[in-house]
Amino acid sequence: MSPIHDQSYRRYQGDRHPVGHAWRVIAQDGIRQMLAKRAFLALLLFAWIPVIVRLVQMYFATAVPQASGFLAINADTFRDFLEQQSVFVFFMTVYVGAGLIANDRRANALQIYLAKPMLRAEYIGGKLLVLATFLLCVTLVPGWLLLLMQMAFAGNLDFIKANLFLIPAVTLGSLVIVTVSSFTMLALSSLSKSSRFVAIMYTGAIFFSAALYGALSSIFGSTRVAWVSIGANLEQVIDVIFRKAPRYEVPTVICVMVLLALVVVSISVLERRVRGVEVVS
Amino acid sequence: MTQPQRNAPSLATASLRVFEMSLGEMLWSRRTIFMGLVVGLPVLMALVIRLFDLAGASGIRINNMAVNGPAIFGLMVWAFFVKFSVPVLGVFYGTSLIADEVEDKTITYLFTRPIAREAVLIGKYLAYLACTIFVVLPSIVLVWLLVIPMGGSLGANFLDLIKDLGIVAVGLAVYGAVFAVIGAYFKRPLLIGLAFIFGWETAVLAFPGSFKMLSVAYYLQGLVPHAMPNDSFASMMQAFFQEPPSLTGSLATMAVILVVFLGFAARIVARREYVLEQ
Repeated sequence: MSPIHDQSYRRYQGDRHPVGHAWRVIAQDGIRQMLAKRAFLALLLFAWIPVIVRLVQMYFATAVPQASGFLAINADTFRDFLEQQSVFVFFMTVYVGAGLIANDRRANALQIYLAKPMLRAEYIGGKLLVLATFLLCVTLVPGWLLLLMQMAFAGNLDFIKANLFLIPAVTLGSLVIVTVSSFTMLALSSLSKSSRFVAIMYTGAIFFSAALYGALSSIFGSTRVAWVSIGANLEQVIDVIFRKAPRYEVPTVICVMVLLALVVVSISVLERRVRGVEVVS
Repeated sequence: MTQPQRNAPSLATASLRVFEMSLGEMLWSRRTIFMGLVVGLPVLMALVIRLFDLAGASGIRINNMAVNGPAIFGLMVWAFFVKFSVPVLGVFYGTSLIADEVEDKTITYLFTRPIAREAVLIGKYLAYLACTIFVVLPSIVLVWLLVIPMGGSLGANFLDLIKDLGIVAVGLAVYGAVFAVIGAYFKRPLLIGLAFIFGWETAVLAFPGSFKMLSVAYYLQGLVPHAMPNDSFASMMQAFFQEPPSLTGSLATMAVILVVFLGFAARIVARREYVLEQ
């Protein structure tokens, strides 16, 4: 005989957590879901290939004296590494971020999420953390690893002592990239129910602004218009963070302001779009 | 009384039915807004440049050479349309021809109709082509009307406009077919499509040897110098594509890519069992 289950109302028997902890559950679940996808793991591994290449470079630069000339490790190596990772940051942002809110909107899950004892900020924070975690895995984590391995290969702290600014530069540079990418993608994800549409909007924003800058700079013969490109703004700011001469003629303050404006607009979009109940007039 | 037997519509008739149905859906969707933005910004930029010119400001230069309207038009068509809009619209619409129906779980309704499965893809592909051509080509004409009078004559450059419109139309057709295959076969077609245009195509164009022949961009962007109105800019483009393919070679290769990939996509749709996620 099969058992007959009691389907009448039962009180919640679990623990009651105070408001302010739900973001962790959302983040953990999102990270676990992404890590269960083989295609994503392949992308993550692929994003680490440049790290391996740089490690090999570091090894030969220290172990083979003849190679130390053309494989020399300096502050520019770390800046170049971060720049190379922008390709993987883009693909990672599209893969992880496009469906973060869009899929919830599509499945009408937003109302269910926000019907729980959870703040909107927690929901956004949890989703943001999913994307930021993976982006940090391809920027900050390998950046720090390269610094550590440089010390290990050299067997002394001379390089770090001479380039102490690299520790905050790698950290700040990575955080700037991750913050701008995460907020922009999350805001776009909240605007649509289709993750494909979100992905293409993000692609459009990145590459179209770059194409616009390319055409404007060619026509006006100046890089003062670099602020129109999201990528160029990031490059300019990170150049300054790494104490390099800025590559564009546009003042860095303007680039910082454009990036800040992008984040503020994204937060404003998220604030308007992530609501449990949509009031239709 | 016996009912007269009704034959299933031919592939062409069925494709036309799907085309009619899909065209309306595609034209009156939010995607068209996105497409309008993609092709509207170059028009806005052309307007700004024209106003800049009308205000008497001089200094529009490409590679430190003073340039006129036809050269600026050539640059804009290459940078905004051939290099960016065509692949992006191709990947966006091409990958969603079948993937959208699968995602919305509506493909079952199409497949239960008494039509060949291939007709679904062909009809949707034709709708994509009509939709993008109706939106993209008029914007190129607008850019042309705004920019060419800056030191050029509309009459003298009309043939170049026709060539540019042809290049963009061919690009949309070929990219659409390539991404239709990706959309019909893969579960995450957009990411693969983006990796193809911004990863593979960009990389192989920079590789030495024959790698570049494994991209659509090589043949499509190779057509651009043939339609360049200005000799100086044409030479710049020729320098960029060190060994551009011949006009006939490019067109023939793209025709082959179009037919093969569209046929392949139709075959995938006809044979594949799409499992809808619950």
